[in-house]
Amino acid sequence: MLLQVIINGILKGGLYALMALGMSLIWGVMDIINIAHGSFIMLGAFCTFWLFEYFKLDPILSLVFSISSMFFLGYFIQKYIINLVIRAVIFITLILAFGIEIFINNFALVLWTADVRKVQVPYGAANFSLGGLATIPFMRLFAFILAIIITTIFFIILNKTKLGRSIRATAQDLDAARLAGVDVAKTYSLTFGFGVAAAGAAGTLWSLLFPINPMMGGVLTLKSFVVVIIGGLGTMLGPIIGGLTLGVVEALGTNWFGQSFENLISFSILVLVLIIRPRGILGGSE
Amino acid sequence: MKKISVYLILLLIAIILPFFSNNFIIRFVTTIFMFGIMASAWNIIGGYTGYASFGNVVFFGIGAYITAILMEKGGMPFYLAFPAAGIGAAIFGILIGLPVLRLRGHYFAIATLGVAEAVKALVDNLEITEGNSGIYVPTLNLPVKGQYYFYYFMMLATLIGIILTTIFILRRKFGYGIIAIREDEDAANAVGINTTLFKTTAFALSGFFTGLAGSIYAYQLGFLKPEPVFTVQTTVKMIVMAVFGGIGTIFGPLLGAFTIEVISQILSNYFLVIHTLFFGVIVILAIIFTPQGIIDIVTGRKKFGMAYLMENIRKHRI
Repeated sequence: MLLQVIINGILKGGLYALMALGMSLIWGVMDIINIAHGSFIMLGAFCTFWLFEYFKLDPILSLVFSISSMFFLGYFIQKYIINLVIRAVIFITLILAFGIEIFINNFALVLWTADVRKVQVPYGAANFSLGGLATIPFMRLFAFILAIIITTIFFIILNKTKLGRSIRATAQDLDAARLAGVDVAKTYSLTFGFGVAAAGAAGTLWSLLFPINPMMGGVLTLKSFVVVIIGGLGTMLGPIIGGLTLGVVEALGTNWFGQSFENLISFSILVLVLIIRPRGILGGSE
Repeated sequence: MKKISVYLILLLIAIILPFFSNNFIIRFVTTIFMFGIMASAWNIIGGYTGYASFGNVVFFGIGAYITAILMEKGGMPFYLAFPAAGIGAAIFGILIGLPVLRLRGHYFAIATLGVAEAVKALVDNLEITEGNSGIYVPTLNLPVKGQYYFYYFMMLATLIGIILTTIFILRRKFGYGIIAIREDEDAANAVGINTTLFKTTAFALSGFFTGLAGSIYAYQLGFLKPEPVFTVQTTVKMIVMAVFGGIGTIFGPLLGAFTIEVISQILSNYFLVIHTLFFGVIVILAIIFTPQGIIDIVTGRKKFGMAYLMENIRKHRI
């Protein structure tokens, strides 16, 4: 029983890791807290939902569409909106992202109404047994593996390509990067694009496992915070460690206290980690 | 002297206004006062002290729920529950402020947001708050018109209270202290300002007045549920109003509350279903074009025009 709970936690944790990846990237490079992150996850989920409803496109194939469309959305939002205020005091970008969140959520509410939807695939309920000790739902394992693969691809882009180098250079020292010939405004737009694309991918995977609705973003943003805060900024492993930790702790916590305490548990973790270790479990001292 | 007479005239208008208006206008202006209180309270911690709290709605919710619990379960009259709500919110501000105010910048913002969400989830699960089914507040035993007057003047008095408090503290060591903390906390510490004490006091003060607003709101509404009371959108509204009016100014937040509420009201008249969508647009436009606040324009210190808007953008773009 306990083994089953922990396995469920780990599987969900993989998805949390992918969810937080984009937020961690945007935060680390540009010092922007993307409050609208959960809304982008929601858009990714509904992108999959739409393609599935109207074109009967397999949700897994729709990953390509959700990732690419969300990349362009993110790119243009950064280019034409956020870049305009990027040098103002930090809470200005924060409240701007709130404005974007309110806009996206209500736009989605008009498009898709407040109904709870589900992407129902025929193979959704398949599972296999782990030697009689625990059952593993096939979709959850699949989403977990995909989340890890996508996270890895993002890390390769960041660490092995020229674009990744300019993104990291901008994060380390804006002026030095500029002197070395990096187009900072463009790098920022690309970074935001990548971050939102990762959110879109997380949304697609989320829609495979859980019901979706236009207002689901707020809680997901906060959970992404928890993951980023636990893992700390600026490390490759941060989101993965944070995601798995949150997944397991949440699974154990709801197992003991009940499902309605899920949010209370994750937000309490957020506040506690911030107070005790503000730079994350992996992060250095202040 | 001219300035003071303008404010006195405005105050006089505010006092006689309800006797010449219908219930709708009274309720509408009461809401403006409420947001004026909350935006001004946010201004103390976010504007003067420089700690951008993204969880100030927690004080509002705590004030509202203290009022509901004391009156409904404790049988207390409102005139006792009202100050208790403010003091309760202030104590919560001290307790939560001591650990959280050690964080800076984004980390403080996220921590306060997390606190607000955690308290919402807690209220949702507690028995004494009746969880998600909601809690009733006894209604005021007055004729309808009298009720409208009562809430209106309670909000107005609290609003005057916070504005006088702001003016008062700005002329004291405390006011200079918190502004010094905003400009450079380490330097403030070095010249002997007890930064922890000052920050926590500012946070508690902000919580006190927000809690009072929550208390009147609870009495006026008569029924509370965790979701609308603790919604993060209220925090967003406070901040946007303060920014739009002018953070770090005495009357800016009130001006922002007035302008944003009027715009929202007009929008919701024309676009019943999608007016929240436009609120998002207002937030985005206000942040991009008037990050310094419109108070400079209203008081005639700057001229409004294309040049003013472009100057703001040029200052912060990359």
